[in-house]
Amino acid sequence: MDDDTTQWECCWDRDLLSLDDCPNLSEGDADLLCSRERRFLEKCCDCDRFKRDLSRFRESGHPLAPIFSTLHNDYRRQRAQIQALGSFLDTKTLEVRFLHELGSVLQSSVDLEEVLSVALTAITSGKGFGMNRAFLLLADKERHFLRGHLAIGPRSAEEAGRTWHEVDTSDLDLQSLSRSFRQNKLSSERDKFQDILGKLVISMDNIHHIVIQTLEEKKPLLVQHAFQDPRVAPELAQLLGVDTFLILPLIARNRRVGAILADNFITRQPITDDDLRSIETFTFPVAFAIERASLYERLQVEVAKLQAANRRLQDQQELLVKMEKMALVGRITSSIAHSIRNPLMIIGGFARSILKSTADDDPKRGFIESIVAEAHQMEEVLEEILTYSDALYPVRDFWDVNQLVETSLRDIQDKVMTQNYSCRFRPGEGLPSAYVDYKQLSYCLRNILLGTIGSRENGLLEISTRQIDDMVEILIDDHSRRLAEEELEALLTPFAETHEMGSGLNLALCRSMLEKLDIPLLVVAPPDDGVRYSIKLPTHKEEQS
Amino acid sequence: MNRILVVDDEANIRLLYAEELTDEGYEVATAATTAEAVEKLQQQHFDLTVLDIKLRNESGIELLQKIVKERHDMPVILCSAFSCYKDDFSAWLADSYVVKSGDLTELKEEIKRVLAKKAQRKAAGM
Repeated sequence: MDDDTTQWECCWDRDLLSLDDCPNLSEGDADLLCSRERRFLEKCCDCDRFKRDLSRFRESGHPLAPIFSTLHNDYRRQRAQIQALGSFLDTKTLEVRFLHELGSVLQSSVDLEEVLSVALTAITSGKGFGMNRAFLLLADKERHFLRGHLAIGPRSAEEAGRTWHEVDTSDLDLQSLSRSFRQNKLSSERDKFQDILGKLVISMDNIHHIVIQTLEEKKPLLVQHAFQDPRVAPELAQLLGVDTFLILPLIARNRRVGAILADNFITRQPITDDDLRSIETFTFPVAFAIERASLYERLQVEVAKLQAANRRLQDQQELLVKMEKMALVGRITSSIAHSIRNPLMIIGGFARSILKSTADDDPKRGFIESIVAEAHQMEEVLEEILTYSDALYPVRDFWDVNQLVETSLRDIQDKVMTQNYSCRFRPGEGLPSAYVDYKQLSYCLRNILLGTIGSRENGLLEISTRQIDDMVEILIDDHSRRLAEEELEALLTPFAETHEMGSGLNLALCRSMLEKLDIPLLVVAPPDDGVRYSIKLPTHKEEQS
Repeated sequence: MNRILVVDDEANIRLLYAEELTDEGYEVATAATTAEAVEKLQQQHFDLTVLDIKLRNESGIELLQKIVKERHDMPVILCSAFSCYKDDFSAWLADSYVVKSGDLTELKEEIKRVLAKKAQRKAAGM
């Protein structure tokens, strides 16, 4: 290409240059002035003068000219590719750093509110995925519905300008941003979006809903023409007010935890497939963190319940021990009473008898009257002592019904096993304590169970407890028994002739005892569905008369 | 004349009840044990039984249950030295209970009341 006769427009052929010789050189390029090779590769290849020189060379018909042109073009193409790759790598490095930071924060937290704050901040922060708004929907405890739980983002351009300016000038990292969000804005953001969050309720059985479909497919979805897309419910598009939004399913261990909806409501900036891919990697740690934090939260609730139950159990154990002691005292006093009262009664009784047949002027009448009076006074003193001892019995108190049922079942275990009967107990969860007389209720329960079993063998009894309004109900289902209506009536009629007289007696007695405590005992026998006993217990003192 | 069976393990109490209730115009028979009581109940007709809860080595409650099962038309009044009927809810099967006392007025009134109630039931065909 170099030809002594040719005058080149570009300065590529000179070894030394001054800054004025090349329009592409600037103050910072001083080291290129004396480095011809570097200057050529970095500057000349893109220089219009050089391109014109190359064009003239090609026109000269020199055989190497086309090869030079090819090399030049290929060099420029490859350099552009390298630059693009470098830029891509830079972006990915930033993304990895961000995800690493996010992962560290998410992994170290079991606080649900913190996890949610981090997740939503990451989506909307400029340092993160830079979306304008994000809505988080969480599956409810029964996993029947997805419900709007939290949202983040501005609602107007003014608010956006203000918020983004604050964030830009604060230079906080993700963790600090989310902490600041949690402390200062979490509840206000929730209130701010309450109108939308309240309407974001989606049945998890609604397989036609686009959010549920996304959860089923376990892949994020970019919705681009929401108002025209037949898959998108018009209410959802109207609620969000945007044509383009992202749906990010949150799945942890195949469990549908929730979903995030994100959009650019303010800037209306398009969301690209690259955005979708970047954000996809983010959803897994978020879903796991939410699931873990939810489980932790539930665990805490269960631990608290367990602790409360343990405290109740301890109280009741103490009460039981006290009852046993008092019962012992009662038995001793009863025995003493029997030993004293009988002779006292005989003395007093015969004295009265003699007194009746003693003439008014009999000189011994006064002695007999003294015996009657003294015996009577001793009876009164004895009665006082016995009444006091009787008052030591705890009568009614708040009791754990499940524990009472379990104890009663243990008491009749021998009989149940001897007759090869099965008793299945399903205790209700979180039941309040019932205000009952423990002894009377457990007596009734034992007798109802024993009466139900009777002399039959190989049957099945199902006992369960549950809360109905402010009552605790004990249900006893005997599926192996069929009763006609008249037999059912006879069952609860005292001393009525039934083919199972034992039961009739027990049940009538139990009903009578429970009625005295204002506790109804109901027995129903639906056709072909066994017999059901129901005992409803009060949970408040004032409900008992 | 109404016939009353008194069941008590104390001979003096049986004697006292027999005297006092006879004075009230009842025909009284006594039994010291449950076996004796059962035998008399099977052989004779009684309108009412006065039963001590605590017999020497036996339980008056068991006898009460037996009476209620076999003769549930006959009222029973339980007598007790102490309110221990509360410990055994089967005692609730009785028509009435009376705490033992040298003053038999309460027992006599209960007997009258229970027998009147029985008579009413009978008149009503129950």
